[in-house]
Amino acid sequence: MASILYIEDEREIGEWVTRDLTERGYQVTWLTSGEQAEQHARQADVAVLDVMLPGLDGFSVGKRLKREAPDLPILLLSARSAVEDKVEGLSFADDYLTKPFHPEELAARIEVLLRRTQKVEDVLTLRHLRIRPKSMQIIDTRTGEEIVLTGKQYHLFQYFLRHLNQILTKEQLYEAVWGEPYIEGDKTLMVHIRYLREKIEQDPADPQIIETIRGIGYRVRR
Amino acid sequence: MFRSLQARYMLIILTALILMQVGYLVLSIAMSFGMDMEPAVSASDVEAEWHEAAGSLTDVSTDVIRDLFARWKARFPEASMFWVDGDGVLREQTEGREGELPAIWTSVSTAQFIKSRYGGDPFTVIAFVGEGGRGGFVVIEIPRFVFDPPINQVYQQYGTWLAIGMIVLVVLFILISYLFFRRIRKRLMQLQEAMSIRDVDGLPVSIELSGKDEIGQLEQSFNDMVLELKESRSREQREEQLRRELIANLSHDLRTPLTKIRAQAYTIGKQEVSDEGRRAIEALERSVVNLDRLIDNLMSYTLLMAGRYKYDPQNTDIVRLVKEHLATWYPLFEQGGIEVDADLQPVAQGEWRIDPLWMGRVLDNLYQNVLRHARSGRYIQVATAATEQYDAIVVSDHGPGMRSGQSEEKGAGIGLSIVDRMLRGMELDWDIQSDEQGTTITIKRYRK
Repeated sequence: MASILYIEDEREIGEWVTRDLTERGYQVTWLTSGEQAEQHARQADVAVLDVMLPGLDGFSVGKRLKREAPDLPILLLSARSAVEDKVEGLSFADDYLTKPFHPEELAARIEVLLRRTQKVEDVLTLRHLRIRPKSMQIIDTRTGEEIVLTGKQYHLFQYFLRHLNQILTKEQLYEAVWGEPYIEGDKTLMVHIRYLREKIEQDPADPQIIETIRGIGYRVRR
Repeated sequence: MFRSLQARYMLIILTALILMQVGYLVLSIAMSFGMDMEPAVSASDVEAEWHEAAGSLTDVSTDVIRDLFARWKARFPEASMFWVDGDGVLREQTEGREGELPAIWTSVSTAQFIKSRYGGDPFTVIAFVGEGGRGGFVVIEIPRFVFDPPINQVYQQYGTWLAIGMIVLVVLFILISYLFFRRIRKRLMQLQEAMSIRDVDGLPVSIELSGKDEIGQLEQSFNDMVLELKESRSREQREEQLRRELIANLSHDLRTPLTKIRAQAYTIGKQEVSDEGRRAIEALERSVVNLDRLIDNLMSYTLLMAGRYKYDPQNTDIVRLVKEHLATWYPLFEQGGIEVDADLQPVAQGEWRIDPLWMGRVLDNLYQNVLRHARSGRYIQVATAATEQYDAIVVSDHGPGMRSGQSEEKGAGIGLSIVDRMLRGMELDWDIQSDEQGTTITIKRYRK
């Protein structure tokens, strides 16, 4: 069970978020001020921090937490929506969510942070595929056989898995995998995606895992 | 009194002028003492007198001649004289010319002498001694300058020194002027250097005063200006800080209750509620989102109007920016059941000098409006377009149009005001066409 260090001075919001996250199966430690935050930093898997805290403000608490536990992912919850506030916050925090937030979104973002630090279960299921993202082992659950990808296919698929649910443009994919600027009209990426689909899709003509978003790019959805 | 540079330089010029004038004055005064401006004697007078003196001698003897010479020597110390008697023998001469003159004078040597002295310098007068010239002749030679006016004599005697003195004076004047200006120049250069030094805050630094003259005053004014700049900067920073705090506090104060409302609505929504209750909760949820959006827009608009919205233009690949931005919105349209038609082709001049954050904000507002007001059309198209004059990004929907007068529409106004301000800020043009069939917004960049 992942442990969340939650710092929020608003009692009503604090109670609500704590209850919601607990219902979602997390173990939540809720503090109403940032004073003792560092003591709990080591035990937490992720920290959720309100920026407008009395006494020490959230930015200072966040920076102190990062000093204490550099690997602890921090999500800033803030009423400030100005770009400069976000930029300042993201200089040390891993994510930034503005109030009023939806609990689903908060939970989803916490999940992303936990996944990034691999604190979440290590197996990912995508339709008929069972994937261990760390070792990039892909098992076809229908046959129990392992699917082996070539170098570029492997990089491409891994990049999709790191950006689950995000739509990635051709430019973004090409530049991330090939490491050079995409030239308009280049077919290399499409060819590799076709090969990849032939290996992992049940029906490559009607792809379910790597979706095509017409005019924009591709997406792998959980 | 002589703190002013101008006064000091005037003093130098005056001194030089006065020195020259005074020099001349002193010289003239010195000369006019004991010397008339007119020559003491004229050559013709001397000639007549000499003839007279020689002709009137009776008992011609060496003593008589010596006496004559002595008298004339006293009158013309520069003169030299000699006497040749009736037999052509050189009998007497004043000192200083021994050996130069022939001892015996023949008619030839006499004629030669006369010829060599005629009209020359020294002025020479030959006069017969005694009645009928039996006593031979006496000659007096006086340097011509004796007949010049006294000032000329001074020039002749002291001319070189005078010239040297003048040159020295002029050179001295030039030197002093040069040193004077060199010092000014040096100080100005130092001042210029000091003025170009910048502090860590990018403002100039105060400088040490180097005097109380005009440059000193300039330095003082500069220091005053630096002080004013610093004050205005710190005032600006204080205001900026206040503004940020105000906005942050306002955001917090407005959004905290919104978060609570959302929390309550969410909590109620998890209970068993009637369909009507569910609809009420959804409406509540929507109002929270709209209100949040409105707060955000209001604040952005205030910042924009005050010129405080950070603008950082960069050369941006517009098609790529729009595509990647649309990718982040796609899931929201998908959720809202809106079909996304992306038709983003490369444009002729695809690199736009814009702030990507501003453009993102513009598109956010446009998409937001589609989600909120044109959901019923179930369609959004984001496309590129081009004419001869411009490249464009076109966002169109099949919603009920902007002027359908629904109360919900009003929120779009401030969002579009922000769009307008930002696009104009990025030197882009835009227009909007809206009717019952939908709304089309075209963002144009005229080709350069």
